[in-house]
Amino acid sequence: MIRACLSLVFFLALELSGAVAAGPAEVVAKAVLLEDKSEEQIALIKELDPTPELISLLTLWKEGGIFLLEGPSNTKIPVVLDPLKGTDDKQAAKLLATGLPHTDSDGKPARLIASDLNAAETDSDLRTAMKSILDLAGLAADDRSARLQAVETLGMEQDPSRLPALRGRLEKETDEEVRHTIREAIALTELKSSDPAAVVIACRTLGELGSIRSQDALKAIAKDSGPTAKAAQEALRKIELHLQAANTWGTIFRGLSLGSVLLVAALGLAVTFGLMGVINMAHGEMIAVGAYTTYVVQCIFGPGLELSPFGIHITLPSLKTSGWIYDSYFLVAIPLSFLTAALAGIALERTVIRFLYRRPLESLLATWGVSLVVQQLFRLTFGANNVQVASPRWLSGHWTFSDVSLGWNRVFVICFAAAIVAGVFLLLARTPLGLLIRAVMQNRSMAACMGVRTERVNLLTFGLGSGLAGLAGAFLSQIGNVGPSLGQSYIVDAFMTVVVGGVGSLFGTIFSALGIGMVDQSLQQILGNPVLGKILVLAGIILFLQWRPAGLFVSRSRSLEN
Amino acid sequence: MQPQPRREILIAGALALVLLVLMPALNAWVPQDSLLHVSNFTINVWGKYLAYGILAISVDLLWGYTGLLSLGQALFFSLGGYMLGMHLMLMIGKLGQYKSDLPDFLVFLGHTFLPAFWKPFYSFAFAMLMVFLLPMLLAKVFGFLAFRSRIKGVYFSILTQALTYGASLMFFRNDMLLGGNNGFTDFKFLLGADIRSAGTQRTLYICTGIALMAVYFGCRWLTRTKFGLIQRAIRDSETRVLFSGYSAANYKLFVFVVAAGIASLGGALYVTQVGIINPSEMTPDKSLEAVVWVAVGGRGTLVGPILGAVVVNALKSWATRAIPDLWLILLGSLFLGVVLFLPEGLISIPAKIRSLFTRSKPLDPQESAVSKANAPAA
Amino acid sequence: MADLLAAIFDQVHTRNLSMKVLNNSAKALLALTGMVFTHSAFAADTVKVGVLHSLSGTMAISETSLRDVLLYTFDEINAKGGVMGKKIEPVVVDGASNWPLFAEKAKQLLEKDKAAVVFGCWTSVSRKSVLPVFEKNNGLLFYPVQYEGEEESKNVFYTAEAVNQQATPAVDYMLGKKKEKFYLLGSDYVYPQTTNLVLLEYLLSKGVPIENIGGGFKKDASGKIISAGKYTPFGHTDYQQIVAEIKQFSAGGKACVINTLNGDTNVPFFKEYAAAGLTAESCPVVSFSISEDEFRALPAKQLVGQLGCWTYFQSVKSDANKKFISSFQTWLKDTKVDGVKKEGRVTCSPMVLSYDGVYLWKAAVEKAGSFDVDKVREALKGGLSFDGPGGKVTTQKNMHLTKNVFIGETKADGQFKILKEYKDVFGEPWLKGTFKAK
Repeated sequence: MIRACLSLVFFLALELSGAVAAGPAEVVAKAVLLEDKSEEQIALIKELDPTPELISLLTLWKEGGIFLLEGPSNTKIPVVLDPLKGTDDKQAAKLLATGLPHTDSDGKPARLIASDLNAAETDSDLRTAMKSILDLAGLAADDRSARLQAVETLGMEQDPSRLPALRGRLEKETDEEVRHTIREAIALTELKSSDPAAVVIACRTLGELGSIRSQDALKAIAKDSGPTAKAAQEALRKIELHLQAANTWGTIFRGLSLGSVLLVAALGLAVTFGLMGVINMAHGEMIAVGAYTTYVVQCIFGPGLELSPFGIHITLPSLKTSGWIYDSYFLVAIPLSFLTAALAGIALERTVIRFLYRRPLESLLATWGVSLVVQQLFRLTFGANNVQVASPRWLSGHWTFSDVSLGWNRVFVICFAAAIVAGVFLLLARTPLGLLIRAVMQNRSMAACMGVRTERVNLLTFGLGSGLAGLAGAFLSQIGNVGPSLGQSYIVDAFMTVVVGGVGSLFGTIFSALGIGMVDQSLQQILGNPVLGKILVLAGIILFLQWRPAGLFVSRSRSLEN
Repeated sequence: MQPQPRREILIAGALALVLLVLMPALNAWVPQDSLLHVSNFTINVWGKYLAYGILAISVDLLWGYTGLLSLGQALFFSLGGYMLGMHLMLMIGKLGQYKSDLPDFLVFLGHTFLPAFWKPFYSFAFAMLMVFLLPMLLAKVFGFLAFRSRIKGVYFSILTQALTYGASLMFFRNDMLLGGNNGFTDFKFLLGADIRSAGTQRTLYICTGIALMAVYFGCRWLTRTKFGLIQRAIRDSETRVLFSGYSAANYKLFVFVVAAGIASLGGALYVTQVGIINPSEMTPDKSLEAVVWVAVGGRGTLVGPILGAVVVNALKSWATRAIPDLWLILLGSLFLGVVLFLPEGLISIPAKIRSLFTRSKPLDPQESAVSKANAPAA
Repeated sequence: MADLLAAIFDQVHTRNLSMKVLNNSAKALLALTGMVFTHSAFAADTVKVGVLHSLSGTMAISETSLRDVLLYTFDEINAKGGVMGKKIEPVVVDGASNWPLFAEKAKQLLEKDKAAVVFGCWTSVSRKSVLPVFEKNNGLLFYPVQYEGEEESKNVFYTAEAVNQQATPAVDYMLGKKKEKFYLLGSDYVYPQTTNLVLLEYLLSKGVPIENIGGGFKKDASGKIISAGKYTPFGHTDYQQIVAEIKQFSAGGKACVINTLNGDTNVPFFKEYAAAGLTAESCPVVSFSISEDEFRALPAKQLVGQLGCWTYFQSVKSDANKKFISSFQTWLKDTKVDGVKKEGRVTCSPMVLSYDGVYLWKAAVEKAGSFDVDKVREALKGGLSFDGPGGKVTTQKNMHLTKNVFIGETKADGQFKILKEYKDVFGEPWLKGTFKAK
């Protein structure tokens, strides 16, 4: 989307300046042609003034919007494409250097398809150089985050020649966070100053700001002796305190998000296992069904998909969307994942589980068999490899509050979990279907006597549980693997969560999921070891169940054995 | 099968003769190019199946006879393997990759001395003692906690699953100094004999067979005593047993500990013949697999588990070569089919066929008790 | 009981019974009632070659591709007349990501099928578990996947990258890019543990202070470092805390991550990494276990610019590579083998090293004039060369390969752009203790 806008802006710029355009575009075109020689490319672009035109050119290049065409006798021609696509997906091409339309061999203006072309490449050195140019220009950008990033990079360079620019910006800047970062950048640069007094002041400022970024630089100074070293040590102490606070808040957030992941994965199980008493070892595969649905939807929105299970060739059409429509694939995928998984669940209930309602231990075995079969079916259909599910733009970013970063996907899962829980609660408590479900689960034979069609309620309840697993899959595709054994990674955890919470209690599941998430993340933070934490959590759960064998929330009944 | 004890003993005896005498004899004395020769490979593979048979009996003792579906048997099985494996690792001596007295993986990680808990394992007797002691102790502690707070049914399964999962995560860690993910392998000597030689392997095979027989007859005796009766009573209705004044928890604990010991013995024998033990053997999935052997063979009987272990593993050996892409589907469908259509397992097939001809009521009292166990009062 | 007895009798050799008599369905029927192994008839004009990879279970993710490329290579060789006039008859078995089963299958290939050579294994543990079998039966295994070294068996030919053909060149490259801080992250198994210990020695020898190496250390009772870096188990899904730690570690700039996570844990790690706002520009990640094949599952757009180091990339510009890729794709399209995925396939280093392995074995057999393992080994030790897709590879006396090493950075299309090439790097398995701190 951004790329399209950029190229539109740039295209218009070319259009306006027409053939008169010289300078940046010409130099950039020259640089583009120096493929693989990043040092020379960097030298070329560094000489240019950071005009808006250069900025848009470099951004376009960095994002792969400049293409190289094969010219006569092994030469290459850099072109850009008109963002307006024709019905045949073709776009008009213009020469980068001159802005004139590119003509094909017949002398007509060429129209090309972007995906057929080779984009001009960049490597990390070149991109770092571009970034530095873009950042300097970015100091004055209207976009807050662009300014922020610009300041950060300039601070890291610790180049005294940047100080005037930074100080100038500080006077004008109104945004609190950007001001904070500019002060940090100035202090960081001042650390390089030859005047010890300035260094001491800079240290003090950095300590007050709690600047994590300056730790390395401060450590180097702290090794010396004299007043500067002392000031640096003092600053480091303050930063350490700040770090501890940031880690504590970070841990709480991470615990909340892990808890939500567990909750999302376990909620379906809380319905099938907790309410119905069915041990569904294929629950993990229901999650995988949801994840694969998301994958298929993504492919249909994107490039299409070809599958060949058992030698049958299936081609799924492509909608060839891009930009925000493509990014909204995930919104379509969410309800579809629910539906497919629910249908798969209903099929499973009809063919296997309904024969085993009175034999819970055997439903465990049978569904384990199902899970093996389904996993292999995934392998044969989608290949043994994991498949790629890319996060939409609106899920791949983060906010930072005083060095605690909140990933959008993590914030999303917390809201997502809250929404599903609310939905399930409303369904069970406020709808006629919920009433029937609760009635059947409390006393099957009594409900049957009252004329409730228990078979059908069973079917719907199991469908609901599986559908919830599908929702979990849709979400998990955003943070982890989508592959045949996806479900296996979550099944033990999901069962644990439900059992700890108290079978039959949705509230219990919520509490236990958040509790396990918090404890796990805190232990990780304290022990600095991801596995030990998990083992301790498992041991803790086993001991906890000695104390409360029925979990956190006991659903009481008068029957002798249950 | 129960009503004809004499026939059962006869069949078991005949099988023992074939497995313990005939096959090793054909392996040792019949020339290689003869049609009747049994190859070293076959002996080795069957040794593995028989070790699995021991594991299956331990699962069945808990599940088929006491109604406790333990998903921790793979853990006890591997613990047995690890205990003997530690001894075997030390016996490699300087013949490892590094020509060092330390086991290879310790040299790998830069250790310069043997951790203290490894030292007693130089003694074979100590290792064998630990094969039984450690798993039974773990079972005792875990069982005590679990049965005291009356955890049963599905909860017991899930809890043992968590135990196994936690243990496998622990053993995967290299810090445990037990070889991490790679575990133990490359064994050379057992009691001075070259463990890879055909003769040693044959002896180990016979040992496994004898152990299986011993476990079989031991369990047969146990399940026929009054103890066995209470065991089955607990399976069918624990509450009634409690009301009759028996301490169900103690009975269950005893069976759980015994089963852990049996599984562990199986594991120790397994390791000597397979030549490798690592944490992937103690995942919950492996426990489930063993449960499935029992279900396929026929639970609540003692021949059933052995049959199941052999049939499923033989099928696995064949299918992973003949139809590698489809074998998981085959395996999964097999479990599904058995659970849905043949709850009493393969062992019930002859009785079913017979009932087809005699048109009598197909279920005898013993078997109906089994199917009742499937349906605890809802 | 009858089926059990049948099983036993089927165990008794059936070599002289031509299995051609039994058609496939009868075979399946027998199998279901407990039959175990069958022998297909020996044909005089073929030579049996074993393929031992996991086609099911967790490792199928990586290993199925190797099976495919091996079958392709055999077909290619057979089409040109085979090896010394004999057609290659592949015996494909499934290790099912189960290590004892690997040992059993290896035994089966060597003792029952009498395979002349076996191509296979991916994980270190699978190689370790079949090693005793190969040593006992004097078999020959070609092992194609980067590994930790510290091993030299006369029964294994390591076409794999040794640590000095992957990890140390990558670190050299990062040092050249003025990186001063290194965060070590890996899966908890032998390859990452050993590689990181070697890298620790290497970095210290290059003058990097120990406090600039992140991830943590563990020391034994005598204070010796026995583990460097942060380790997560297989199948780990939650990388929030680790990424937060890296973010703080790299806040001062000039830091990079040395990543030895195994295949599929990379996905949650990189998704978390990108979500936390870390990029290749702020803190690059050099990965040793992500090839083009694994890359298919990763969010490529968020990973642009992250680095990889292998002895082959699909983007290597050579005629041999062009030919290899196009004929492999053609083979994929035409093949009738079950379970071969035809769409969206790429080529990667372990695949090419498998391919090279087959040709090297062929060359060795032809040089030795025999399929005998001892003679083939001598021929291999004598220094054979093959112009593979990744350039010339030459066998060494220590059963490793001299080959080119490439550093590449990832592009949005899932391919690598090659940044640097080290020519003819000698494969050295024994590296520990060779680098001395200044």
